[in-house]
Amino acid sequence: MFSFTKEQQVFEISGVTIGGQPGMYPTVVFGGVFFKGEPDFDDAKRHIQTVLDISKHTGTPFIPDFFIRKVEFIQPIISFIEKVIPRKYPFSIDIIEPSIKVETLIHLAEKKLLSRTIYNSIHIGITKEEIEVLQNNTPAMAIVVAFNPKNKSPDGKIEVLETGAYLTERGLLEIAYNLDIEKILVDTAALAPGENSGAAIAAIPVIKEEYGLPTGCAIHNVVEKSRWLNDFPLAKKTVDVASNINIPLFGGDYAIFGPIENAGLVIPLIAWQDILVSEYAENYFGITPVASHPRRKLLK
Amino acid sequence: MAEDYYPWGGEFTACSPKGSVGVVLLNIQYTPPQSVAIYGRLKTENIGIEKIVANTISNPNIRFLVICGDDIRGHRSGSSLLALHKNGIDSNHRIIGAPGAIPYIENLEEEAIKRFQKQITIVDLMGEKEKIDSIIADLTNGAPSSYGESYIAIRIKPKMTVSLTDKRALHSKIVISYLGKVKKRGV
Repeated sequence: MFSFTKEQQVFEISGVTIGGQPGMYPTVVFGGVFFKGEPDFDDAKRHIQTVLDISKHTGTPFIPDFFIRKVEFIQPIISFIEKVIPRKYPFSIDIIEPSIKVETLIHLAEKKLLSRTIYNSIHIGITKEEIEVLQNNTPAMAIVVAFNPKNKSPDGKIEVLETGAYLTERGLLEIAYNLDIEKILVDTAALAPGENSGAAIAAIPVIKEEYGLPTGCAIHNVVEKSRWLNDFPLAKKTVDVASNINIPLFGGDYAIFGPIENAGLVIPLIAWQDILVSEYAENYFGITPVASHPRRKLLK
Repeated sequence: MAEDYYPWGGEFTACSPKGSVGVVLLNIQYTPPQSVAIYGRLKTENIGIEKIVANTISNPNIRFLVICGDDIRGHRSGSSLLALHKNGIDSNHRIIGAPGAIPYIENLEEEAIKRFQKQITIVDLMGEKEKIDSIIADLTNGAPSSYGESYIAIRIKPKMTVSLTDKRALHSKIVISYLGKVKKRGV
């Protein structure tokens, strides 16, 4: 359990706060929605409602992370967000294809949803067109992924943030700041076993001390790629959920997990870990948790 | 045996070491016949492709790479692999003409890519559903002999770049006190 010398930034988006010294704010969890197949809106609505209730119970902020995999899904998913997500609540959009990213941004701007949008993500694959569209359709917050295919260590991750590692013309942080995105979350880019998977966790305190920015990752991706766990289905599920505690334990601010169906396991687990961190952080570093922190909500 | 021929770990199955065909599976539920040398799934347009190249040139018996299934959305890994074979990489290590989001080859030397281009004929069966088995059988039966040059086995060894005197430190950039206070090293 850590405390940082560097001043830690705290960002707020539509009522959800993220960042700061470990033990002050609860770890934020992002849960993936519409990850596979055709979007099932009824199912998603049911899950999101359940998860928001669990989140309210523990104090662990939950942000739905909407995968948009095809152009034809953009409109229906944005309509779903408008109808189902509470009006002053944030959400993130998780898109791989640059052309779908661009079109989604334009739609979100038309619907005046950008102030609640977390853009997932800016990375070394950012295109000129994407940058141009982001300039005029700027989301309130963005996740910047520190993926460096050449150097997967914490140093390599810092290199892409700082200089772009010759993969982009500028460092990814500079690109984001030049777009007037001031609320930046750093994603330490969890990679498969064999690809220095542990670096995503080790990089959390390194990056927080370097930049003071809220930092986290999707560590469950490492579990998904641990094929040997397929021989142990119960353990695989347990490890998938439990992997997330690495993030608050190493001082991180948010965990991206998936799919949303796991929220009933992930959120109490994260809340439990937050309590553990908070007790130590308050005792040794004098960090008082905010009123919404699981330690204050659940331990009475 | 698999480890000798295919030094890069990944999601693959090694079958017949003398087989001339490797099969890349994209979005498809299909199990190739045991006569192929190796088959496996390709997901990403960077590390995934690097592994395919490394594991292909490590076995000179492999002369064909069959790509089958629908391409991976966003990553466009199948099309990016085709682009690498056709065009190679530019000075920034980006695959020339690749449509994927992050098509960078960072862990292979130019020599390895050139060898891949020369040793392998790509058979693009993306979108094809009916004829995969028969095409693989034809390729296997009419296969040319081994590439004729010895294999190239590339192993990535983790680099030890720093010697830490402070055993509590997690990384060379930071120092962590026994209580858990983090500060930048040397400040």
